[in-house]
Amino acid sequence: MRRAPALATLALAIAAALPFLIGDAYIYTLGLTICVFAVLASGLNLVYGFAGLLSLAQVAFFGIGGYGTAILVVDHGWSMGPAVLVAGVLATVAGLVVAYASLRLSRHAFAIVSLVFSLLCVIVARDWVSLTRGPMGMPGLPSPTIALPGLPPWQLSGPRDFYILLLVYAVAVLLLLYRVMRCRIGRTLLAIRQNEPLAQSMGQNPLAYRLFSIGLSAWVTGMAGGIFVFHLTIVDPSIFDFYYLETMLIMVVVGGPGSFWGVLGAAVFFSAIPDLLRFSADLRLVLYGLVLIAAVLAMPGGVAGLLRRRRLRRWREARR
Amino acid sequence: MNVDFVLQLLLNGLILGLIYALVAMGLSLIFGVLEIVNFAHGEFYMLAAMGCYFLTAGAGFGYWGAVVAVTAVSVCVGFVLYEVLLRRLGGRDFERSILLTLGLSMVLQNGALYLWTATPRMTTTQYTYESVVLGPVQAPLVRILAVVLAVISFVSLYLVLHHTRVGKAMRGVAQNRDAALMVGIDPRVVSRLAVAVGVGLSGVAGAALAPVYSVHPLMGFAFLFKAFAIVIIGGLGNVAGAAIAAVALGILESLASGFFSLVVVDGLAFVLMILVLLVRPHGLFGGGVRV
Repeated sequence: MRRAPALATLALAIAAALPFLIGDAYIYTLGLTICVFAVLASGLNLVYGFAGLLSLAQVAFFGIGGYGTAILVVDHGWSMGPAVLVAGVLATVAGLVVAYASLRLSRHAFAIVSLVFSLLCVIVARDWVSLTRGPMGMPGLPSPTIALPGLPPWQLSGPRDFYILLLVYAVAVLLLLYRVMRCRIGRTLLAIRQNEPLAQSMGQNPLAYRLFSIGLSAWVTGMAGGIFVFHLTIVDPSIFDFYYLETMLIMVVVGGPGSFWGVLGAAVFFSAIPDLLRFSADLRLVLYGLVLIAAVLAMPGGVAGLLRRRRLRRWREARR
Repeated sequence: MNVDFVLQLLLNGLILGLIYALVAMGLSLIFGVLEIVNFAHGEFYMLAAMGCYFLTAGAGFGYWGAVVAVTAVSVCVGFVLYEVLLRRLGGRDFERSILLTLGLSMVLQNGALYLWTATPRMTTTQYTYESVVLGPVQAPLVRILAVVLAVISFVSLYLVLHHTRVGKAMRGVAQNRDAALMVGIDPRVVSRLAVAVGVGLSGVAGAALAPVYSVHPLMGFAFLFKAFAIVIIGGLGNVAGAAIAAVALGILESLASGFFSLVVVDGLAFVLMILVLLVRPHGLFGGGVRV
């Protein structure tokens, strides 16, 4: 199966080029939604699929990135690039605090505390009016300009430009996460997830690796939020909407926790198909809930797990 | 500063705390016995409150009739929840249990939003416009009744846990699952009962609170935030700890709301939870935790 990643990369490259051929604003918007969810789902995959921690704070990181960037740009006159980076760091710090405090107790506590943190963010965004402008949010974010060395400043306007920016960002993040998942860090995380005492006895410190995975995941998720709000041109408490979290969870659980390509495929599928079919938002989440229950009960490893098991069975039969 | 004002805040806080306790104790009980964190717990509370609204507004039930009916249905829902979903999880897979109950919560919450929209509804009963004067402070009768319901639930839960065979078995499983199996306790019977009691408690909470606050599909979600923080502060799986932490948090929040802005009040639960985790990770009251 060595060819699979190469084929998948080729298919993705063609798919990524497609919006430019069609040139339709709706397709660009769909494309950038896919890019954002590819980053969010892969970030969650690093934490849940590899480190074995069910982080329900991903939506909080996303929103902190969004709010942080917007506040830095609007209230403090920063330009977008540094603001996104710093907001990402802010999300990382939040993630590390939540993880460090709760992992002292257990994985169980981490899941609970991360959810409570997400709920807290909704409340803070709504009630801390002097910082976040309250429920009305901050509308009319300026269209940002990116100054690249050696090129004229690039003013982003319209879905096409944001599609390009988010595509570049998503590819960079996915490459980074792919490297991390495939290198020693990723393997150590898997080892810790499978058998913590054994990994510890080999001299690995589970807490350090877990904190690293959460920090990295919070950083890329927060920066995705920072870029995304400029596409929306508004940031309001709905950036913390659990819709994002539930969609991420569906993508990771159905795609297969711990499988880079499985989660990426599920991210593309679940951000494109329901939108193209134009499901009503409420019913979509009801359906997602049912899919989540069914996936948890029927296929714990997700689609990637099913495929892996089938491949193993074939391999065994071929050698019988 | 006015003494009557502080007394009034204390009373409000006590009422709020007792309601928190109802939800948090159910959560803690289910976690203690099954090692499952029920993320759908808030939705059961919401559905109970909704049920109470429809029974009083649509079906002409009185206050007590609605409370009893909603509680009875909640207990049955708990049985069904265990038999249909939770039983299939089997053992140690904690993250799957969260995903499962989270999926359930999505279905219930968004289904309720779709059916009933997010409009808040007021439940009116025969007691809605009466209030009780206690010396310098006063409270609406429905709040006092909520306290009465909470206290009745605590006393019966205490009696069941400490003075019946099945209650002792529940505590046994919560303390040491393997040892409980060895002395012949059937985990399925005990777990089923724990879920039924837990969901039943959230049913009582929903029914007791429906006449006090407005009822809407997102109410459970907001409530769960406090309930989870309380469960951590009291110590995961420690039912009595959860009850004490709940009352304390209710009183603290109520006092804070008299003197600080809203965001401080809401952030209080989270800050306390993080502090407890940093200083006493096993909860304020220690023990009761198996990691």
